[in-house]
Amino acid sequence: MKAKQLYNSTLLLKVIFTISVAVIFFIAAITYKHITTLKESSKWVEQSHEINVELERLMSYIKDAETGQRGYLLTKNEEYLKPYLTSKSLINNSYKRVSKLTSNSLIQKINLKHLLFLINKRHNYLSKTLYLVQTEPNYDHKVLNEYLHVGRLTMDSIRLKIEEMSSTQKKILQNRQLEYESSMNYTPLLIYLTLMVTLVLITIAFIKINRDVVKLSKTVNTLSVANEVSSLAEIVGGFGSWQHNFETNTYTFSDNEYRLLGCEPQSFEASIEEFIKFVHPDDLEYVMENVKNMALLATLPSFTYRVIRKDGEIRHFRTIGRAVKISSGERTYIGTTSDVTEEIYAKNFIEERNRELESNNKELTAFNYIASHDLQEPLRKIETFLSRLISSDFSTLSKPGQQYVNSIQTSANRMRTLIDDLLQFSRTTKTEKSLEKVDFNLLLENAKVELNQIMETKNAVIESNNLPTLKVIPFQIQQLFINIIGNSLKYSKENTPPIIKINSSKIAANSDKSLPANNHNYYKITFEDNGIGFEQEYATKIFTLFNRLHNKNKYEGTGIGLAICKKIVENHNGFIFSKGVLNEGSMFSIYLPFE
Amino acid sequence: MTTEYITIYLADDDADDRLFFTDAFDELKINTKVSTFNDGVDLMNHLNDPDAILPNVLFLDLNMPKKNGLECLLEIKKNEKFNDIAIAIYSTSSTEEHIEETFINGANIYIKKPNDFETLKKILSEVVTINWQYHTSNLNKDNFLMRM
Repeated sequence: MKAKQLYNSTLLLKVIFTISVAVIFFIAAITYKHITTLKESSKWVEQSHEINVELERLMSYIKDAETGQRGYLLTKNEEYLKPYLTSKSLINNSYKRVSKLTSNSLIQKINLKHLLFLINKRHNYLSKTLYLVQTEPNYDHKVLNEYLHVGRLTMDSIRLKIEEMSSTQKKILQNRQLEYESSMNYTPLLIYLTLMVTLVLITIAFIKINRDVVKLSKTVNTLSVANEVSSLAEIVGGFGSWQHNFETNTYTFSDNEYRLLGCEPQSFEASIEEFIKFVHPDDLEYVMENVKNMALLATLPSFTYRVIRKDGEIRHFRTIGRAVKISSGERTYIGTTSDVTEEIYAKNFIEERNRELESNNKELTAFNYIASHDLQEPLRKIETFLSRLISSDFSTLSKPGQQYVNSIQTSANRMRTLIDDLLQFSRTTKTEKSLEKVDFNLLLENAKVELNQIMETKNAVIESNNLPTLKVIPFQIQQLFINIIGNSLKYSKENTPPIIKINSSKIAANSDKSLPANNHNYYKITFEDNGIGFEQEYATKIFTLFNRLHNKNKYEGTGIGLAICKKIVENHNGFIFSKGVLNEGSMFSIYLPFE
Repeated sequence: MTTEYITIYLADDDADDRLFFTDAFDELKINTKVSTFNDGVDLMNHLNDPDAILPNVLFLDLNMPKKNGLECLLEIKKNEKFNDIAIAIYSTSSTEEHIEETFINGANIYIKKPNDFETLKKILSEVVTINWQYHTSNLNKDNFLMRM
């Protein structure tokens, strides 16, 4: 945008410059013409003056000749004839000069011709008079008078002619002067006007240039700040940038690109050849392949490789690039190179830990199989043999023998429950695919059906308000209900029918102290009973595997049930807490997140 | 006494289980002829013998050396000659994977080995008296697993 404005203003400046130059040439031409005219007019003045002088001189020569002759006629002294004799050539010369000076005027030429005729006539009469006086001593005075008379008349004509010529010359001069003045009159005005226009144009140009300079300096300032920021950003971000100009086939590396390689900025020529000198020999082929791709692909996918820095340290680099068209219209490939060594190390570390975890999981699965299959096998044999012994030979055994057999059966049963519970615990795993939207009221009904027998024996009552519908693993939540309710039924007070109250409510994580602070919303479901309760200090202990608070002879159990509950809730990213008051009852709260 | 016998085969590597199995049939008042095999290879060799009498019901343990129950099941289902044999899986484990896999591969019923003798007798008696044709036509996963 700014660049375009600047471009436009240079066009304007060019136009102004061209006009100004044209105006100056125009003024120069007018001035030249003016000066030339001035010079010519002064020449004319001089010429007119010269003509006048020459004409007067001509007149005086004729007069000299006349005066000389007159002196001779009176005195007969030859001495007086001298001016008359020389006058002929003098008049001739003078006449030639006038003729030359008046060559450019037709009127003067005609006048001059007439003058020549008169001069010749006068000369004739002078000669005639002289001839008469010198050759005929008794000349007729009448003839002489006649001659003198004609001579005087001619002389008058000459005088008149010369006067006419000089006045004509004056007139010509005057005309020229007038012409010159009229042409000179409007010239200064024209020059003045054009000068004014030029001045205005130059002023506009000056203002424009001034504005452009301000704009330019601002742009330069912004650019230098942007440059500095991007250079700092590269240092902070640990990456360098590069450009490859396809048109000129040249490379440009940013300062930080050099620093990444452990070199001083711009310490070597930016080129692929120089750069690959740093690439680890094992990765060289791979890098070259990607460099070749640059010519083919518009977007260069990121690729990671090793380099050996100037100080010998091996670092991992990641390069990415894309072909772009910069504002000058040249096709350029731009890209960045980042040092991802730490990232790679961290990734490797995580991968290693993942492998460890995977192998641990495999071991656990193997253990699971041993528990499910191999441990059950001998137990089943013991039980089957025992059942056959009891059905066929029990009556033949001694009293203590019968007692022993009963004890064996109790222990075997207990072991079976233990194995079954343990199996159930280890199978309570997270399986994403089995997440379903399910109505918890339905799951509660199913749990009640499972627990039907014990509920009837104990006259238990379960009170529940409307439970939510959530996306869960249905059979696990059902198991959770069975285990918690079963737990309450088991630890009920003797002779008091158990009452279990189930409530649910929506809460936000940050409104409940027992939950970690996050932005999730939870469904809180509480199970409250009137059983034997427990001391609050065991509130967390009861959820650990095999942990029991009571003697197994008083309350049978494996200590796995609540551990399963905890695992199920954790599988659903939820929480479970318990609260107990000895001899009054206990309360279990579960929190399940929902969207 | 009728002369019609129900021919029953059991392939199980566990001697005790084979003993329980034959004893249970001895005590049941059903006309059966029970043969037992120590492993899958033993069983398949017998079945592939052209002179052999094919069983009405075959009980297959899953975990056996040399050739396990699943391998036997696949082999039997491939051979049209054995189309009429009803196959009952007879195993200690009752994991979902095992049940699913054998069901898909064409077993007719899945029995988890019970842990007392009376239950065993009850199950075996029920299995051999099932009208197999009727049972097979309505086979689904719910009636596949037999629990007692």
